[in-house]
Amino acid sequence: MVQFETSRFGVLEVEEERIINFPDGLLGFPDIRRYVLMDYKDTPLKWLQAVDDPDLAFIVTEPAVLFPDYKVRLDPATRQYLKLEKDEDLAVLMIIRVEGEQVIANLQGPLFLNAGSMLGAQIVVDKLL
Amino acid sequence: MLVLTRKSEEAIKLGDSITITVVEIKGNQVRLGIDAPPDIRIYRNELYEKTRSENIHAAALSIEAFKKIKERLK
Repeated sequence: MVQFETSRFGVLEVEEERIINFPDGLLGFPDIRRYVLMDYKDTPLKWLQAVDDPDLAFIVTEPAVLFPDYKVRLDPATRQYLKLEKDEDLAVLMIIRVEGEQVIANLQGPLFLNAGSMLGAQIVVDKLL
Repeated sequence: MLVLTRKSEEAIKLGDSITITVVEIKGNQVRLGIDAPPDIRIYRNELYEKTRSENIHAAALSIEAFKKIKERLK
């Protein structure tokens, strides 16, 4: 079990196997690599909480929740980076925020997670979105 | 910043494992070929910066913001 502090949720304790490792962190936060995904029964929204920085957490959700037609291709280099063996192990999440009354999704930088290896990466989509 | 001048088909090496080749020069556009190991990620700079900036804006949201977004999704 891994115990860590968070500023929003107090002290959390999770099984080691639940920790997602982003080898390059997220853009802007390259040194924070371990995260835990917290989901809820009553909403598709989740928190992606950093293990090594109590204040750092992102609100994420699956792209289909906001954009049913959103499709991103997994390029071979990323597939190898994530050590992806089975396509069903792949999950895609988008970081979202709110600005005033507007919900804004980071379509440019989706998160790809491999549930098999528990590795993650933030991909920068190679066209302006 | 190191500035080098290269002609078409000439290349630059970064360390031992990354090679950048000038594939073609056409008007004001340069086509670059990049050879790098899979763990080195390659981005168009402006897209990288846009993503990074979005992350930084999104990183400080509160539980109230979560509730607000949850309401808007209903």
